Amino acid sequence: MLSYGCRRLASTLLVMAIVGVIVFLLLHLAPGSPAAIIAGDNATPAQIAEINHQLGLDRPLPVQFGFWAWNVLRGNFGTSIFSDTPVMQLIEQRLPATISLTFVTIVFAATTAVTAGLFAAWRAGGLLDRVLMGVAALGFSVPVFVVGYLLIYLFAIKLQWLPVQGYVPLSRGFWPWFSHLILPALALGLAYLALIARITRATVLEVLSEDYMRTARAKGASSLRQLFHHALRNAGVPIATVIGIGIALLISGVVLTETVFNIPGVGRLTVDAITNRDYPIIQGVMVVFSGAYVVINLLVDLSYTLIDPRIRR
Amino acid sequence: MPTSRRSLIKAGLAGALSMPPLRHARAATPANTLHGVMQGDLRSFDPIWTTANITAYYGAMVYDTLFAVDDKYQPQPQMIGKWDLSDDKKTYTFELRDGLGWQDGTPVTAADCVASIRRWAVRNAGGQAIMTHAADLSAKDDKTIVLKLKEPFGLVITALASCTTPLCFMMPKKDAETDPYQQVTGRVGSGPFTFNQNLTRPGSRYVWDKWDKYVPRKDQPSGLAGGKVVHLGQVVWENITDEQTASAALNAGEIDFYELPPLDLLPQLTGNPDLKLKVMNATGSDGIMRLNWLHAPFNNQKARQAMMYLVDQKAILNATFGNPKYYNTNPSLFGYNTPMSNDANTDWFRQAPDPAKAKQLFQDSGYKGDKVIVLQATDFAFMNNSAQLIAGWLQNIGVNAELAAMTWGEVITRRASMNPDDKGGWDIFITYGGGFDFSNPITLIALAANGKKAWFGWPENAAYETLRAQWAAAPTLADQKSIAQKMQATAWDFVPMVMLGSWTQPAAMRKNVHGFLTNPDVIPFWNVSKS
Repeated sequence: MLSYGCRRLASTLLVMAIVGVIVFLLLHLAPGSPAAIIAGDNATPAQIAEINHQLGLDRPLPVQFGFWAWNVLRGNFGTSIFSDTPVMQLIEQRLPATISLTFVTIVFAATTAVTAGLFAAWRAGGLLDRVLMGVAALGFSVPVFVVGYLLIYLFAIKLQWLPVQGYVPLSRGFWPWFSHLILPALALGLAYLALIARITRATVLEVLSEDYMRTARAKGASSLRQLFHHALRNAGVPIATVIGIGIALLISGVVLTETVFNIPGVGRLTVDAITNRDYPIIQGVMVVFSGAYVVINLLVDLSYTLIDPRIRR
Repeated sequence: MPTSRRSLIKAGLAGALSMPPLRHARAATPANTLHGVMQGDLRSFDPIWTTANITAYYGAMVYDTLFAVDDKYQPQPQMIGKWDLSDDKKTYTFELRDGLGWQDGTPVTAADCVASIRRWAVRNAGGQAIMTHAADLSAKDDKTIVLKLKEPFGLVITALASCTTPLCFMMPKKDAETDPYQQVTGRVGSGPFTFNQNLTRPGSRYVWDKWDKYVPRKDQPSGLAGGKVVHLGQVVWENITDEQTASAALNAGEIDFYELPPLDLLPQLTGNPDLKLKVMNATGSDGIMRLNWLHAPFNNQKARQAMMYLVDQKAILNATFGNPKYYNTNPSLFGYNTPMSNDANTDWFRQAPDPAKAKQLFQDSGYKGDKVIVLQATDFAFMNNSAQLIAGWLQNIGVNAELAAMTWGEVITRRASMNPDDKGGWDIFITYGGGFDFSNPITLIALAANGKKAWFGWPENAAYETLRAQWAAAPTLADQKSIAQKMQATAWDFVPMVMLGSWTQPAAMRKNVHGFLTNPDVIPFWNVSKS
């Protein structure tokens, strides 16, 4: 188990290094220059060249990469070209909002979806099943920004129950923090909920037809015990896998959701940096994201051994 | 007990009824704090290093200027108490007014201002013109700045007061001595607001506090000139990038001010009785089409003239702005409704669009089917829509036009290329600028026609350049207007660029917000209050 974990961690570093190289090359080979953006529309080519020189962007690409990689190895992701703020400081400032949004979304989507999928499988073909699967299909089909605008219109403008936008840190109270996350988590979580609910339903449906489920029923186990104790536990591994995949999908969903609900998270930091060609930020965020992605996959793999004791053997 | 659908519904209802009622989560913004959503993100904190207007807004809060333009675009003293021009018109003497100090508690000195002017002059065309004519710029004593010229130059005060970015902001000497191509790290100015770095979150929220020790002038506020009296305790810019969300936030009272709501969202805002609209910039923005003079077909004057007859400004403006209330067609090289706007040599404007005439002019130019690459910035509605229309009109008259779709970031890189089309060059790109900027052919490089020293497209015309030099030396506004007419008459023969029309965008704000002063390039936050 320990050696497995170590091997996976080593592969994490390799993946992050490969991502670093690819992101660096893609950014610097793509057309567009931060110097031209800084210099403004009225700048002369000579002024743009001077800014390029000051930023070190006129040096050969391998030299630029060498400097960046060496600094990253020492934990220094560089400084934003525009705001002159250390990239790590910017990421640290933005992480709490993104983690909060991701956490609330996962808790909402996973608990709702697993419960919904379980009951849909239990009453397969019935009204409950059809309604739940209809909602799941809707969740897949409607883009997150459309759901977001509809939620804002209904709950923030018309009913005036919740704020339109923004983020309040948890340190300023649970309700202010939570109230700013409800609508974004609903918008972001809908597609994710649909994915988990459908997988849960299909997996549980398969388990419900197993012999041991018939045995449990024959022994007089209650419906809830049959569902949660026997069916859900045996369907756990595929569900854990899809939750893991969903967390990875959240990373892309967070970018849009943070924009629609004006949440100052890492997703928006990335979009703004790409628009401005702020290379140090983009590179830093991509390395952090790729690391998070690999670690999530590792945790999902490790969770299999907890869910299904047979995998431990 | 078996679980039934009915029991689930019962349990759900019981749960819902037992929940505490949701409280109204929103609160109006505090009475002496103004929350605004501005035109973009404040990416840099050095208003000399970048020409971004949003950084000039920051600069106007934290820093002060020696002179400033009033709401009639006339220069007025700001940090200057008295000033004088010698009889031979070659020596300016400026004396700083009393009560000026930096936000770190030290006094503002003439040496600070000399260093600030020098740094600004490297990055600003007006400043460069001053330094070209200057024999010496120095501090005579702590309060007196002396500028000695080699020969009389009429634009000194105009350039120092200009609101075209970068503005001539005064900084402490240690900051002003920073390389003009590197950002200052200091955030200390002598303006009416202090920048609150503790509450600021770059990319998300920016905060300023009223600086209680600022001593405003006694004059009435007007444009960027006059007394900068601050009524607000704090100004907060929320960086809401999504326009729909920003509009919803204004509707809901979570913000007080939205600088540039898109025109298609205005009906949402005008339907709310708690909101009002105000045009902050009467000279608006002007769209232009730059033609590449270095290669065929636009190295030929007749092909360039053809483009003037081809363009239908109304269609271009309508495609992006929709509501005629907010746009105007414009034949003047000097923008719409600016002090230099005129109608010299604008017969083409009364005739356009005339595709038959445009086709004939292309034929007269000897056009041989060369490819015409139109750069299409897909991330800016005006550039995107206009490029598509222009490419379509060219194709309709038999010109081999091809759209090159890319981001604006890529356009500003590619437009610098002097290569022919097959080596990464271009023929047409579209952009726009602040309308007021078009009134000054010295500070707006797009109005130069000095070949490869000129702006992208590199137009060249010696007669026009002579007139431009005469404009810079003109002693009075009337003289400048007269020369501007001659410049335009010449320009619309050789066609340095093509005008695409002018537009304004009103700002939206809560009805309890009062006192916003209007200015073409900078939005000031002094004089603003909330009732």
